[in-house]
Amino acid sequence: MLNAVLAFFYRNLIGAPSYHLYLEAFLALWLFWLIRQRKKAEKKKLLTAEEEETIINAWQPRPLVDEKELDKMEGYDNGDVWGPISGRPGKYVEIDGEKYLNVATHNYLGLMDSTELDDAAEQCIRRYGVGSCGPRGFYGTVDVHIKLEEKIADFLGLEETALYSYGFAAVSSAIPSYAKAGDIIFSDELVSFPIQRGLAASRSTIIYFNHNSWEDLQEKLEEQRKTDKKNAKKAKTIRRFCVVEGIYSKSGTLCPLKEVADLCKQYKVRLFVDETISFGILGKTGRGLTEHLGVDIKDIDFISGSLEHGFASFGGFIVGPSYVVDHQRISGLGYCFSASLPPLLAGAGIKALEIIEQNPDIIEDVQDKCKYMHKSLDNILTFFKITSEELSPLKFLYLVGCKVLPWEVTRELIEQVIIYVKDNYKIALIQPSYLDSEHKLPLPCIRISVNRLLTYKEIDSIGNAIEDACNALNIFDSIIANISDEDAELRNEMVSEYEAYLKAKEDKQSRKAVLEEEF
Amino acid sequence: MIQVGGHGEDNPNVSWLGSRGMWFTYLVVMMTLHLFLLSIPFLTIPLAWTLTNVIHNTCHFIFLHMLKGSPWETQDQGEARVLTHWEQIDYGIQYTRTRKFLTISPIVLFFLASFYTRHDAGHFVPNFVTLMFVLIPKLPQFHRVRLFGINKY
Repeated sequence: MLNAVLAFFYRNLIGAPSYHLYLEAFLALWLFWLIRQRKKAEKKKLLTAEEEETIINAWQPRPLVDEKELDKMEGYDNGDVWGPISGRPGKYVEIDGEKYLNVATHNYLGLMDSTELDDAAEQCIRRYGVGSCGPRGFYGTVDVHIKLEEKIADFLGLEETALYSYGFAAVSSAIPSYAKAGDIIFSDELVSFPIQRGLAASRSTIIYFNHNSWEDLQEKLEEQRKTDKKNAKKAKTIRRFCVVEGIYSKSGTLCPLKEVADLCKQYKVRLFVDETISFGILGKTGRGLTEHLGVDIKDIDFISGSLEHGFASFGGFIVGPSYVVDHQRISGLGYCFSASLPPLLAGAGIKALEIIEQNPDIIEDVQDKCKYMHKSLDNILTFFKITSEELSPLKFLYLVGCKVLPWEVTRELIEQVIIYVKDNYKIALIQPSYLDSEHKLPLPCIRISVNRLLTYKEIDSIGNAIEDACNALNIFDSIIANISDEDAELRNEMVSEYEAYLKAKEDKQSRKAVLEEEF
Repeated sequence: MIQVGGHGEDNPNVSWLGSRGMWFTYLVVMMTLHLFLLSIPFLTIPLAWTLTNVIHNTCHFIFLHMLKGSPWETQDQGEARVLTHWEQIDYGIQYTRTRKFLTISPIVLFFLASFYTRHDAGHFVPNFVTLMFVLIPKLPQFHRVRLFGINKY
């Protein structure tokens, strides 16, 4: 038997062609060698020599512990001017036992003082307690969350909402849940910090276009189209997104959404709009920028917003078509891995939405106040430039010549104005605080946030207070003194403008005196 | 992706081929395929072996060396999107047990096919060509290499 088997194999080998035998021998040897190999980690080479060089050159070694660094807190600290707040920051705010008119807090709709919201929150506490105990997908969903989600979606006429427990987390986790490494995001250069974090977390290629310039966006899109044509195979595998804000929280300007949406359609780019500020403010019924500009809301892939700015509650949301938004329930990191919004805040959010749905005149009122504030700030234009648009509830006052002034001087002058207004007029003003790492870090400025409850008289008093502060503190002379001779032209221009202002003021006073004499 | 009770791998493609019982399953599937081919009346034994080998190598080539990415939702931020399954295995570490097993199996199958086809030249050509198609991309030197830009994106 054994002999027969061996003979069979022998015949088989003898009969085989020689190339076959060599090959088999080689493969067998290679097999033997392969089995004896040890594990070897892959050598990762992800950067080209050029990229490495730039990274190495950009790196500046710093001392391990720098005393100054330890003292320095990132961002401007309003704590130097203002003490701790007690009570609720509504129309008035109590700081160190003093009551101030509050134009520092984001409370455009004036709902912070609403007792209806308190009642709604209290009812929720009695029913559900104060916390929600877990993330949305893990015992953290209660009926008010679902109700609020439905309410927001219905309000905007869209299919679905994903509710986040924090406005910052909403947009910064929504963006990376769609855009991944290799994709391209076109973004306005002035987008807010949460969006910037979202862009960074997506690890996509970020292309910033000039603020509010859809012409520049078109140029960038055209450029991208050209690159895509060169490498069509690669272009097929990348997704393109565009991110803009409704009202920019760093400049108070409105986005030209119509043009942007058209471009996105034309170039097949998905469009995300952050309506954190504009939700509940713009449009006839507060449905945001799309309603205000008459853009079809269905053209936008998702809208993000928050209940923290106009709605005196807490939480952020992403709203859009179901097939877009539903994706976040498994891949929005802030949605999956963060405890859900406390039910009491969701309850307050529902109430706030009901209030503005039932009283659309609130929206009209806010818009009136925003416009009035804009007009009443006209008389300080000699001292401040205002970047905000008429309809924006946020007014940003930049010191004239602040572009050529040293940063610290601007800070100091603005701080003086704020302290003067605080002491003499009992109005709470604030400088917005930014992290140094922000893209396009804004210059120091005063931020006024309008709210509905301000009377026209109070609005006037704010402009007058700032004007008086500037005159009393000789702000203009300090500015002029700090402008270097290199910018003499600008300085002369400013001086002539200031002289005209003084003359107009004198005229006004003399006319007033004449009138008083007559009567 | 939340993987309740899973192995906690961002990208399961990294490890599932090396999981417990995988080699045995692999052999069982191969044997079933071969027995099925043998059971077809008009197929001769040499033809059944060559077919087994060619089908096996075709599957290897398509699933390990041609298709890229990962069928699971990627928590790895799409890093696997540019990699074939073979390149994803064990995070790209070479000469691991899984890799050795998957390299050895087509070679052994080639030996068997050669033997049962009595080293016939007509059978040798398809067997050898398909073997090369699955062996060459497995070489460590060809890791992340796309010859002539084929299948680059």
